[in-house]
Amino acid sequence: MENLKQKPKKDDSCTDTKNKSGCSCKEHPEERTDQAFTVNKPFRGIQFAANRALSDTDILKLEKNIPEDETLLFTVSGDLSIKSRYSNTFLAVTDKHIYGFDDTFDGGVRVHSYDKVKRAAVKRYYGNAILIFSMDESDKEFIDLSKEHINFMRFSYKVASLYDAAAFFIQNIAAGKDLHEEMQIVEASFEKQFCICPQCGRNLIRPGAPCMNCQSKDKIVKKLIGYVTPYKTLLIFCMFLSVITTAVSLLPPYMTKLLVDDVLPAGDKGMLGVCVGVLLATYIIQYGVGAVRSYLLRVSGDKIVADLRNDVYKKAQLLTMRFYDRTSTGSVINRISGDTSNIQSFMLRITQEVVVQFFLLIGIIVIMFAMNWQLTLLSLIPVPFVVIGARIFGKKIAPFYRRIWRRWSAVTSILTDTIPGIRVIKAFTNEKKSFNTFKKYNDRWLKTDISASKITTLFPNIVGFVITCGSLIIWGIGGKLVIESPEFISAGLLVSFLSYTSMFYGPVNFFANLNDSYQSALNSAERILDIIDAEPEANFGKGKHPEKLEGRIEFRNINFSFDRSKKTLSNVNIVIEPGDIVGIVGTTGAGKSTLINLLMRYYDNYDGEILIDGMNIRDIDMEFYRSEIGYVQQEPMMFHDSIYNNIAYGSDNASVESIIGAAEVANAHEFIARLPDAYDTVLGERGTGLSGGERQRLSIARAVLKNPSILFFDEATASVDSETESLIQAAIERLIRGRTTIMIAHRLSTLRKANKIIVVDKGEIIEMGSPEELMALKGKYYKLIQIQTMSDQVRKSKEEERFD
Amino acid sequence: MARLYIDNDMARFTRKDITLVDMELYDGRKFENLEPRRLFPLSGLEKYITLLDEDGVERGIIRDMKTLPEKERATIEECLDEYYLIPKVTKITDCKEKYGVLRIWAQTNCGDVVIEIRNILHGIKLIYGTRVQLRDVNDNRYEISNINELDSRSRRLIDSFL
Repeated sequence: MENLKQKPKKDDSCTDTKNKSGCSCKEHPEERTDQAFTVNKPFRGIQFAANRALSDTDILKLEKNIPEDETLLFTVSGDLSIKSRYSNTFLAVTDKHIYGFDDTFDGGVRVHSYDKVKRAAVKRYYGNAILIFSMDESDKEFIDLSKEHINFMRFSYKVASLYDAAAFFIQNIAAGKDLHEEMQIVEASFEKQFCICPQCGRNLIRPGAPCMNCQSKDKIVKKLIGYVTPYKTLLIFCMFLSVITTAVSLLPPYMTKLLVDDVLPAGDKGMLGVCVGVLLATYIIQYGVGAVRSYLLRVSGDKIVADLRNDVYKKAQLLTMRFYDRTSTGSVINRISGDTSNIQSFMLRITQEVVVQFFLLIGIIVIMFAMNWQLTLLSLIPVPFVVIGARIFGKKIAPFYRRIWRRWSAVTSILTDTIPGIRVIKAFTNEKKSFNTFKKYNDRWLKTDISASKITTLFPNIVGFVITCGSLIIWGIGGKLVIESPEFISAGLLVSFLSYTSMFYGPVNFFANLNDSYQSALNSAERILDIIDAEPEANFGKGKHPEKLEGRIEFRNINFSFDRSKKTLSNVNIVIEPGDIVGIVGTTGAGKSTLINLLMRYYDNYDGEILIDGMNIRDIDMEFYRSEIGYVQQEPMMFHDSIYNNIAYGSDNASVESIIGAAEVANAHEFIARLPDAYDTVLGERGTGLSGGERQRLSIARAVLKNPSILFFDEATASVDSETESLIQAAIERLIRGRTTIMIAHRLSTLRKANKIIVVDKGEIIEMGSPEELMALKGKYYKLIQIQTMSDQVRKSKEEERFD
Repeated sequence: MARLYIDNDMARFTRKDITLVDMELYDGRKFENLEPRRLFPLSGLEKYITLLDEDGVERGIIRDMKTLPEKERATIEECLDEYYLIPKVTKITDCKEKYGVLRIWAQTNCGDVVIEIRNILHGIKLIYGTRVQLRDVNDNRYEISNINELDSRSRRLIDSFL
């Protein structure tokens, strides 16, 4: 304890505590890199860790309640009172006591000393959790709420992980562990909090660092323009063609004026022929060049959308399992297919039509002003109404596009869910119900789409009406002028002017309705960027790249939860030596597969460290790391491809003989050879056409071919009969020789080669040692073995009965 | 063992801890430290309440809370209120979406709160046409019991995200 007082951290003179915690401070770069979780001024000259800057009132409370001879170590600011009301509460932990500050407590504070605490834990409820101290000696593994305990502080899941660290610290200090070592663990938890961008939730490169995602995400359109850039030459050429067609299209009304005012009254047949010839040439150029332009636009548009789709799909491959846990397959497919097309059409409109329409608008206005400025001003009357209407329309339509997409995503989700599961639907004669469910969601989409179409169809028609009224003004006033003062405006001029007016309203209409496609594309872009900007799995092509992994695995203080409502792994510490064959046993939901998930780096958001050969697995290049691991799952995934390619999956350069050899090792060669198309047999989607045991042996062959340093088996024989099990078991035993192997098994008989057993229960390691040691311990493993021996006997006798 | 469904006055409950009760059945059987939990936390707030002991073993199911005597019902409700914190949103003062995070400034029956939702598709769910469940970045839950009962501004603010 004294050491803490002798080594105060650097006194921070900055008064702007807010800046020091976040990424916005430009004046204090050094604070951002040096333990950003020290967001408060030192308390009595000693820095302490905190998740939030404490207010002056909070500091006064600390001054008032913490005696001079105690050292404040850290505070955790919470958000709920013990009575479940939103409130500014905080936990303050010193070297001698634990203080809970909550205005609903008597006197606003509750104090507890370490010596009475036997166990401290966070009990998670639904949307909230409580820090509990148990005072009962017998509470070794879990807190028994029927015994003496204190419900110390309540908080939401927002700070649950920090309270976890606090509970772990309190319990260990109460047990007499070293305070400095324990503080390092607590500080690591605080540091992790500051490694997350408060804006977008992505991981930062270091605590308090600026978020690359938020910095660069200033304009969605800017990002999309990046996809257009490679085709700029083609698009500029298209634009040039557009200018030609636009310029040429301005000619016919003028020719009309010439014909009506000069050629026809004069009866000049020669001039008539010239005019018709000019008009013919104009139309040939207009439509000929237009066709070339349309073709080139289609080509460039397709290329843009293909690039965008490639990028979205590529990124989708690199996204974390956490993303897929929370995002339906349907919505991902929808983004790759529908949204990219939507953006394609919009981008082409932006890069082409906008330019064309703009030039057209300017050209017409210039010509109209040159012809008659008074009539031109009259024709501009409807424009402000159209502009205001477009703004209102944009605001109204945006939510509809969002809603339509959600409804359509739901429909796609039903498809991706039910079409692959068609066998189950048929087996349960659920076709009618399945159709009704689809119809229900499709009807919802229909209803929303119809609501949107009321607006989307109404607006263009209103615009059309207003514009037509504009031409009526020209007819009315212009016509009157032609009748009253033909020397001022001729009939030909009026007809020609009306042609230009209708042409002028074209671009006006276009810009008015652009908002519709803009809003739709903006929605699509947001969803696509949701994938493109999502945090990928780290370290692809980066990080350490050792020659080979030896296979020493170490879990250090691992805590993990899929979501914050339930802790899946608590304080897991395991050491596995190279070449060890480790069996993980435990009841369903105990956290066995989660251990493998973390080792596979499907989830990186855990507290603590996992080391392989002394290196943190987060620092190893992901591609190399996974290439060194063979993973055989309970339900092996096969692709709609030949057996040969399925075995060679992930081993692109494997020779034919090595693939046959791998199949041999996996006890798969014999059954493959018996198939009519043997290795060329094309499997159905997800491997239909093979039995579960056959699929499993193919997945073992895949692992054999990969020649990994480390092997994981997750219930590899759980769903096969005894005979297939023995075939698979023999294949596994050949495969695991000399490799670090972790096997999860419900059937403990499959672990007979294991030299180490880990027993997991409720996310904690409760027993670990050799099978003999655990049998001697007569704990959970012993009980599981006894239960299994009995059930195996029953199973065996049943199988024999059936055989007889 | 057959599942024990509890109806009417079959059981007497005594509050033990914030989320625990002792149960005494009409036939004299006693169970201590049972935690009432909803089997249908979204769709059935008052029906099918399971009673779990310290080992997570189910000791009975209350079929419908409405059938329990007033006192017993209040005891179970108090436990459930402690266990399930789902603040009810009564008013939305503002909604802003930036960097893919939707922030909703809301008034709830538990006080004022800023709800941060990162994935709108996942975080906002309309249930049974009028009830809205919100799930924030930290997996905390909130609820709008009946969207039609919100004031017009609140309704307008949340509407575009439904």
